Amino acid sequence: MKRMLTLFLAVVMALSLAACGSTTTPAASGSASGSAAGSSSGGKTYKVAMVCDSSISDGGWGAACYNAMIDAAKAQGWETAYTDSIAVADYASSIESYCQLGYDMIFLPGNQYSDATVQVAKDYPDVCFAVLNGSESLPTDNITSILPNADEIGYMAGALAGLMTKTNVLGFIGGMELDTTKAKLAGYEKAAKAVNPSISVLSAYAGSFDDTAKGMELATSMISEKADVFFGDASAVDSGARQAIDTKNGSGAIGIYDIGQPADLLGQNPCVICSVVTDNAGMLGLCLQAVEDGSFGNQVIYGSLENGCLSLGKFNDTLVSADVQKAFLGYVDQMKAGTFPG
Amino acid sequence: MSMSFAAEILLSTVRMATPILLVALAELYSERAGLVNIGLDGIMTFGALSGFMVCYLTGSPFLGILAGAAGGIAVNMIYAFCTITLCAEQIVYGMAVNIFAPAVAAFVYRIYFGVSSTLAQDTLMKPIAIPYLKDIPFLGDLLFHQTPMVYFAYLMVIFTAVFFNRTKAGLNFKAVGEYPKAAETLGINVIQKKYLASMICGALAGIGGAYLTTCYVNTYSDGIVAGRGFIALSAVIFGRWTSGGVLLACLLFGFCDALQLRLQVLSTSTPYQLFQMIPYAATLVALAVFGIKKAGPKSVGKAYRREER
Repeated sequence: MKRMLTLFLAVVMALSLAACGSTTTPAASGSASGSAAGSSSGGKTYKVAMVCDSSISDGGWGAACYNAMIDAAKAQGWETAYTDSIAVADYASSIESYCQLGYDMIFLPGNQYSDATVQVAKDYPDVCFAVLNGSESLPTDNITSILPNADEIGYMAGALAGLMTKTNVLGFIGGMELDTTKAKLAGYEKAAKAVNPSISVLSAYAGSFDDTAKGMELATSMISEKADVFFGDASAVDSGARQAIDTKNGSGAIGIYDIGQPADLLGQNPCVICSVVTDNAGMLGLCLQAVEDGSFGNQVIYGSLENGCLSLGKFNDTLVSADVQKAFLGYVDQMKAGTFPG
Repeated sequence: MSMSFAAEILLSTVRMATPILLVALAELYSERAGLVNIGLDGIMTFGALSGFMVCYLTGSPFLGILAGAAGGIAVNMIYAFCTITLCAEQIVYGMAVNIFAPAVAAFVYRIYFGVSSTLAQDTLMKPIAIPYLKDIPFLGDLLFHQTPMVYFAYLMVIFTAVFFNRTKAGLNFKAVGEYPKAAETLGINVIQKKYLASMICGALAGIGGAYLTTCYVNTYSDGIVAGRGFIALSAVIFGRWTSGGVLLACLLFGFCDALQLRLQVLSTSTPYQLFQMIPYAATLVALAVFGIKKAGPKSVGKAYRREER
């Protein structure tokens, strides 16, 4: 009897493990509008799935990419599904299981999925794969790279930070040392120094995208080294950093600022002065359209200031004076023209 | 600068060591009753979520801590029932809790808060200064101007030391982990003690998790525990199953982690991976110096079958 009960509980555990470890829930909003769009594409309802190593409710990268997929799918009338919080070893098998389920496109939000994608894509020539931040050499007949310009993201944050700092010390907190993170940091530093050559940038990595407490500790120590404008590329870790900044600012005048990304974060924390917004939904929408047209593959979709896929969020008008905004927008125009930061 | 640098490192050490300390004490109670619980990460995560939800809804961090404890007990009762009553393998069920509890927490958070690009924020517990003690120069403000949960953690260390070494109840408790059959012949209710240990373990680990979301950071996100449960597990072994040893182990780890984060900021050009090694390298060195002779409870990890000979 006891043995039976043990067995039963083990099975229950195993089932809940399989069910929860990889939460495969078709998003209600996406599928609800699926019927509406079916008409536009001759009765067929297309399906897109996202496979993600971070959590989609991380208030950062995962959430931004998931919402981008939902928005793009809604506009095109696609159905969506996702699997999140998966380990590196499970990338390929998760991608493959969506291929077997008959999904038309798999969305992979990050460069880290490139190898697994190439591996699976060979066996499923009819499935389309869109890799966000994929390299320029990645695309094949059924793989497309979506490449927001990380340099420009860094330039925008750096130019604004350079104009706003009073101590000439800036902070940057990364999650992991990814190529895109390194490019953002380099751009941030370059643009800030172009604005004001005496600026120095403190940077550190939390070694995680989830450990909020580490973000708080890193920001605290940077503040004690006089950093007064922050930018980050570390999802939930960034929210810890913003908390540390708010704590330091206290209830008095706000003297330490944060620049958000990849969504418009104005209003989330009092210290946010502006955001660098990446329109992943717009770029993903181009992929969905290409799948419907049958023109998918062998393509790199660039996201830049010029084509509007990168943009600025709203300013905090009380913290960023009109003069600074004007000077900053001047730099942004130069970026579009390719003359800044030189 | 050096003064404030030292002060900040100490402050940061206390902040970083407290959640690990609470959870390591949880494991100490569990192991002293013969139950290896490697599900601490899972219990902590669930405690962090229930603490956050209650704190968010009621605005009271104290209710959040209580909810964290209750959530921790609830999760650990699954483990307790399977390993104590059903005599199942402890490691396997600990691992199952580690996978099951964070997934449930992620599910609940997502149902309630949805998926947005911003995280919900709750109110944090305010630090309370202890009169007189806080006036000690340098150390006073560091050690006696903290949230009540920090004081609670350190009082628990003292209480645990006294309980296990100076009270009859504590010695009985330890006997269960050493040689349960002998304990049973002396009239100690082994099963009851093991369940009690699991409840204390669940409560303390849940509080450790809730500390993260109600005293430390004001948001909850999946993965917030970030392996602290496993660090606590090793702190118990490192601290030789005594509360004083556990305290030292947690402080050492907290100090090294605080140090590496600061060194990263001070020396941007050095590869950060080098600094991130510090806490682990220090643990290895300390283990090599102090020895890793097994000093734990003799029957830890073994199921207790009452009617078996």
